[in-house]
Amino acid sequence: MFSSPHFQPKRLLSLALALLFATALACAPAPKPETVTATQQLKDDAGRNVTLPAHVERVITLAPNLTEIVFAIGAGNRLVGDTSYCDYPAEAKNVAKVGDTLHPSLERIIALKPQVVLISTASQLETFTQQLQNQNIAVFVTDPHDLDGVFRSIEQVGRIMGEEQQANALVQKLRDRANAVEQAVKQEPPVRVFYQASGEPLYTAGHDAFVTDLIRRAGGISVTAEIPGAWPKFSNESALAAKPAAIILPTGGSMGAPNSTPAEALRSSPAVQTGRVYKINDDHLARPGPRVVDGLEEMARALHPEAFKQ
Amino acid sequence: MTTRVTLRRTLIACSALTLALVAAIVAMSLLGSEPLPARASLCAIFSAGTSPCGLSRDQYDILFQLRLPRILLAAAVGGSLATAGASYQALLRNPLAEPYLLGVSNGAAVGTMVALVFFGTLEWSRPVLAFGGALIATLAVYQLARGRAGTTPERLILAGVIVTTFLSSVIVFVTTLMDATRIRSFNFWLLGDLSGPTHTLLPIVIAISVVGTVALTLNARSLNLLMLGERDAFDLGVEVGRVRILVFVVASLLVGSSVAASGSVGYVGLVVPHLVRLSLGSDNRISIPAAALGGALFVIVADTVARTVIAPRELPVGAITALIGAPLFIYLLKRV
Repeated sequence: MFSSPHFQPKRLLSLALALLFATALACAPAPKPETVTATQQLKDDAGRNVTLPAHVERVITLAPNLTEIVFAIGAGNRLVGDTSYCDYPAEAKNVAKVGDTLHPSLERIIALKPQVVLISTASQLETFTQQLQNQNIAVFVTDPHDLDGVFRSIEQVGRIMGEEQQANALVQKLRDRANAVEQAVKQEPPVRVFYQASGEPLYTAGHDAFVTDLIRRAGGISVTAEIPGAWPKFSNESALAAKPAAIILPTGGSMGAPNSTPAEALRSSPAVQTGRVYKINDDHLARPGPRVVDGLEEMARALHPEAFKQ
Repeated sequence: MTTRVTLRRTLIACSALTLALVAAIVAMSLLGSEPLPARASLCAIFSAGTSPCGLSRDQYDILFQLRLPRILLAAAVGGSLATAGASYQALLRNPLAEPYLLGVSNGAAVGTMVALVFFGTLEWSRPVLAFGGALIATLAVYQLARGRAGTTPERLILAGVIVTTFLSSVIVFVTTLMDATRIRSFNFWLLGDLSGPTHTLLPIVIAISVVGTVALTLNARSLNLLMLGERDAFDLGVEVGRVRILVFVVASLLVGSSVAASGSVGYVGLVVPHLVRLSLGSDNRISIPAAALGGALFVIVADTVARTVIAPRELPVGAITALIGAPLFIYLLKRV
């Protein structure tokens, strides 16, 4: 075979060289994406400028509201990890669990190789962010204090996941529903509401809780709207002295908070005396995700049933 | 002879403290997150609630349904914890023996937690299981502290530290399994909180604090002799085993009912008995009832601070007792 007239070492050499060149040409751009991957900058609710990959294929959420947002904008198939609290929509239960919101496992998170981790408060931020950033994982904080903040979270997650259209359409739909509620209760006199986050001991929603804004939009006034903080421990006396005309009990959700009766201290309040105590699914009120508009509608119907009579 | 002198001193000290306690109950009921008209409130209190004296319906409810029951709960809890501390210190001959430091409070907290998780709606299950938890923790500490050479103060404190940290991790473990909304309120309760519903538990806590203090005071002579050492006490005719069991059971009852109603209010059982002994001497016939009254006074004042200083928000009373108690204790240590 070697003696075959077709055998031409020179030609083989040039062929090999050509191959090598082609391979080199093909391979040359390959190492580059590591360093020059397209990125986007986005300011999060903690005020940090977060550098995010332009195309997110793997994301982890550390709070149920964020999980709901990711699914609602149609990016659920790219969710590779969430928390044990994340139970909605049903698919969220099948996603790998990284612990709960307060105690996520850093190892599990890193092992799932996310590009972005979405978290809902800045509580565990410092140690956390540093360790995740060392692994080239971006941390994005959402911390909405009102309904517009919830909508902004949805839009932000939409941008991060490259689903702006879906996110904007969702926000538009939710905004329309919220506006319809506000329109319906506009003429009604606002009801003085006490929001009982827990009865024993008494916790309520303060100035920074997004639910305070939700109560206002539902045609109520939270009697604790000016109390500093989001979830203050509240005085029994002051709750009674505020004379709430209605009490909202967030209860019955999947978290199973045993919050089904008004606090003993409120027994002689106008709300209890007139029977205006409303239980509302706490998954709709405590999770600043798409379902807060359900909570808003339920609350408005409870506070102003006459406004929704067809 | 000495008995009569002691009785007179006890009566004088306790009468003075009782007067101070009543004065504190009345004075502190005028302070709160909601201002009440002082004159009308005093009039209503001295009429024992029979006349509203011009208070509005809400003001009347605030005073009699919320504020006074909470002050009485503070008194009962303070009295219970201080009495338990004083008797532990006498029985175990250890100035640092205190329900909180020995892990007894944590035992009661675990009991209460079990009651909350498994029998959430049955309020009376809390003091019962808290008592069980306190008693188990007490016996565990005592067994751990008993070496071949008897109980030394160092061993006792070490045993207390071990039991405390072990039970703390049990508490952390169970709270981790709780849902997010309950963790916050539970942690608040753990630090000592008197704002909880009092209607069911208040009579129980008051009854136990009074009966417990009387029972321990009646055994004060035996406790005095036990302070000489168990052997000497035995030789002097003290039924050491019976007294020990009595103190363990009664103190566990006192701590259990307090913790079930208000979480772990620390330092009361340490600071109050020491202050009492410094001013009235270490005769348990005086120091146990005086500690009960002093503890009541101390927690009433601490809780008034807790419920007014950032009103209408609140602090856990345990943070205030520790804030007052720790520096005071350091001062006492330096003086002795």
